[in-house]
Amino acid sequence: MWQDFNSYLLEYPSLDAAIYYFINLPLVIQIACVFIVIAFLATLFAYGSILVRRFKGGRRDRRMSVIIPRIDTLLTEHIILNEGLSENIPIDQIQLPLEEFRIPLLRSRFGKQMLIDRIVSYKKSFTGSIGALLRQLYLELELDKVSFKKMKSPKWNRKVQGMIELTDMDMSISDVNILPLTNSKNRELRAEARNAYIKLSKNEPFKFFDIVTEPLLMWDQIELFKTITTTEEISIPNFARWVTYSSNKSIVSFCLKLIVHYNQQDAAPAVMRLLENKDHVLRANAINCLGKLRYEEAEDKLVSIYSNQPLNCQIEILKALGRIDTGGHVLFLRQEFLHSSDFDIRKNAAKSLIKTTGVSQDLIRELIDTGTAENKLILKHCMNPLIKF
Amino acid sequence: MRNILIIDDNDIVQLVLKKILAKEGYSVDIAINGKEGLARIGQQPYDLIITDLMMPYANGFEIISKIRQHPMGKDTPIIIISAITNEDSVLEGFKLGANDYLKKPITGRELIIRVKRLIDAQVSRAENI
Amino acid sequence: MDEPLSFWEHIRNIYESTVFIYGMTMLLCYALLAILSFIGIRRAQKRDSYSDYKKLLGSPLAPGISVIAPAFNEGVTIIQNVRSLLTLNYSRFEVIIVNDGSTDDTLEKLISEFEMVQVDFAYNEKIKSQPVRRIFKSANLAYDKLVVVDKVNGKSKADASNAGINVSSFPYFLCTDVDCIIEKDTLLKMIQPFMHEEGNRIREVGDPCPECGYIHVVEENRRVIAVGATLRMVNNCEVEEGVITRMRPPRALIPRFQEMEYIRSYVLGKLGWSMINCVPNVSGGLGLFDKEVCIKAGGYDPRSFGEDMDLVTRMCTYMRDNKQKYAVRYIPSTQCWTEGPPNLKIFSRQRTRWGRGLIQIMSIHKKIIFNPKYGRLGMVVFPYNLFFEFLAPIVEITGILYYIYIVVTGQINWHYALILLLFVYLYAVMITTFAILWDQITYRYYKTWREVIGLAMMAFLEPIIYHPLIVFFALRGYYYFITGRKHVWGNMQRQGFGRAKPQAG
Repeated sequence: MWQDFNSYLLEYPSLDAAIYYFINLPLVIQIACVFIVIAFLATLFAYGSILVRRFKGGRRDRRMSVIIPRIDTLLTEHIILNEGLSENIPIDQIQLPLEEFRIPLLRSRFGKQMLIDRIVSYKKSFTGSIGALLRQLYLELELDKVSFKKMKSPKWNRKVQGMIELTDMDMSISDVNILPLTNSKNRELRAEARNAYIKLSKNEPFKFFDIVTEPLLMWDQIELFKTITTTEEISIPNFARWVTYSSNKSIVSFCLKLIVHYNQQDAAPAVMRLLENKDHVLRANAINCLGKLRYEEAEDKLVSIYSNQPLNCQIEILKALGRIDTGGHVLFLRQEFLHSSDFDIRKNAAKSLIKTTGVSQDLIRELIDTGTAENKLILKHCMNPLIKF
Repeated sequence: MRNILIIDDNDIVQLVLKKILAKEGYSVDIAINGKEGLARIGQQPYDLIITDLMMPYANGFEIISKIRQHPMGKDTPIIIISAITNEDSVLEGFKLGANDYLKKPITGRELIIRVKRLIDAQVSRAENI
Repeated sequence: MDEPLSFWEHIRNIYESTVFIYGMTMLLCYALLAILSFIGIRRAQKRDSYSDYKKLLGSPLAPGISVIAPAFNEGVTIIQNVRSLLTLNYSRFEVIIVNDGSTDDTLEKLISEFEMVQVDFAYNEKIKSQPVRRIFKSANLAYDKLVVVDKVNGKSKADASNAGINVSSFPYFLCTDVDCIIEKDTLLKMIQPFMHEEGNRIREVGDPCPECGYIHVVEENRRVIAVGATLRMVNNCEVEEGVITRMRPPRALIPRFQEMEYIRSYVLGKLGWSMINCVPNVSGGLGLFDKEVCIKAGGYDPRSFGEDMDLVTRMCTYMRDNKQKYAVRYIPSTQCWTEGPPNLKIFSRQRTRWGRGLIQIMSIHKKIIFNPKYGRLGMVVFPYNLFFEFLAPIVEITGILYYIYIVVTGQINWHYALILLLFVYLYAVMITTFAILWDQITYRYYKTWREVIGLAMMAFLEPIIYHPLIVFFALRGYYYFITGRKHVWGNMQRQGFGRAKPQAG
């Protein structure tokens, strides 16, 4: 190989020799040479990136270790221990020492963001008058403008960040800013915009339940649930409306959970109608809801449809009977406990039997004495206060 | 001067609670986890203990249980402050011996009233013995 | 001048071309995985920048999780480990410790420390396992999340895990080893993919219903059945009562290599596969599973040498057989630290077992390979694992023999050979370095930049020292499988964490 190269060198200047030599190599070797160079450079780049990242991160940590205690001191001194708070002056009349916050340290973008993050963290732990004063500070320092600016960013995660900061600080965002985002192509942005709208809209927060066509993911449900149940000035409608008319199953099942949370007894008839639904998962959710509502009128219907139900619905029916606890179906429960071939059915029947307040101890004793070894075990399991499930 | 012990690993909660309670005239000690909390209880009597539930090394329930078994802690009022809000956890807290359960976010005024109430009740109970 | 090529030369050409195509495809796959995993990390970062997973703590809608940890003769560290599991940050969970017939004082220590009493538990054996002798719950309400199951030794972790699943009451279970250190927010983070899965559509199916006149709306859900996360070595980390206070790469050679390998395999490999829903395996060291699907798929198989991959494969085939869409996902952050084999002997046992497990899975599930009925599993996951995981050691050993042959017969073109070797070497180093970079992007693990660079430099030594060992032990595993030799499970001598003293610097 070297001899070939040398022979080229004799005839041509060195750079041309190298190029001619290279062109005459087999294709495989050419590719290998190119990739060697690429791999070498890429590896150097990777090492460089790692070092840059560590360095930048270390610098950020150092800056934070200086800024955060300073912010904490300012916040505790002027907000938490604010004189106006303890004297019960209305929040908007309290004079906040803004100059204290306008120090050079907090003027940079980094500093402002740290301040916003810290204020939001405080607000998550403390509400009431402290929370209101934090909000006032956020407004007067014009930090809301910083958050609004994020919503104008082209990157979707910045938009979401801005929205979340504003909702965490109970700022109102006008409909014209949120509504377009609720139709965004990015699913996460859509979900967050919906969440923000429900929290902040004065008019009809729940109209989304009418128009949203995509399924509500579990995480969205958790966020929405928290927003709905913790926002103070929201008027809670009767969720039966969507249980009856929505074609979006995840909305229906979400509304069932809300019905249980707000104990909307007058929604129960609508939930009863769901028992006819073809989807067995939805039916199981409806039965669960009726049980937690302790809706007595449902008991007879549940027992009557029991035999046609798949396993998961049957188990839900047994659980519901235990929760509703009228004592009217003790014999039915006893029947299922003694004669069902499925372990889980017997276990849930036993649990509901034991939970029922009207049930006599003699009945339980009789079941224990006459039962099979496995049934004895099931009963003892259900009666043991140390075992929760 | 009444002594309060705060057991919490969250720096914001530690700082703010200490300031609020100190302003009301209480002397406040901070323990950053359960182990340290139990050590402090052994060193001096406290009039009130405020604890979180989720901490490293030992969770809040275990700490409450151990406080109640400790000779110097078995009558001390305990307030739980936690982000965990489900019914089971609340019930468990009370069954283990906590006197109060505050769900985050909390309001400063409510905290002060509850603290005052529990300490005053404890003091009058001690005086009546 | 041109003579017709002899038969032997034809064979040689075919062999060389095949190996060349094989090699190039493998390198391309790695490049693809690197790109995909980068996209995955950026996406995860974007979500982390605003998402507050702690919201789950206060929500009554949070799903319950059962943490199942089999234990065999862990008396030295069991109390600390269990206490560490009990302090995970989550609102609804239980910790099930399965005492797999320990011969030391593991059970006694648990009973006395956590005030356990035997209870009459209605044990429903949904998955067959060795008999369960007793079940314990704590008399002290503070430990009511703890359940201890005492069972007859089943000679495998799979059997103990099955017993744990039978006892569990929540819809999801986290399978882990009792000596693994689990980060406190693990449950909060690993449940996220279950709740975030898209790929849902509402379709209108079929003709209008004759009864009501409307077309019945059907929702097509893709169900996440398993989630995994990155594992690392805990050797040389400073641990204080189940919490890692300082991370450090291992000092000993073999665990150090293994740390680097794990980072590459999880952060680059599995995360990349997760982006296209082709994850082959969720590690037994840490995995969050959907209990219902696991039970329906039959639970863990005690006879398998790679029971984690076997279970995931069976869960996937179950979903396909029942025409349901599924996903197996990965999160890039490190959630679990485990003790790496400290010496060559234990390491060899581990790798031989893995090799054996792989060939066993290939043979048991051979109906999946290239079977379009199994979608991605059959057309991507299994073929990839067959060619580039299973066959790789075999191809390498034949390659080396071939090289020796052409060297000995003087047919080798040294310069070309060296160029090719350098190419493959640098490529491997590049991929590993990128894996470490991706890992650092996820989170700035370790304390000093020297530690990171020191670990990255191991990539230069890997092809020379570590890789040949892996190939050798994998081949040994295949050989043992074929000859049906009995496997000695052995026991990792626990080093114990409590005695790690803080080291200077």
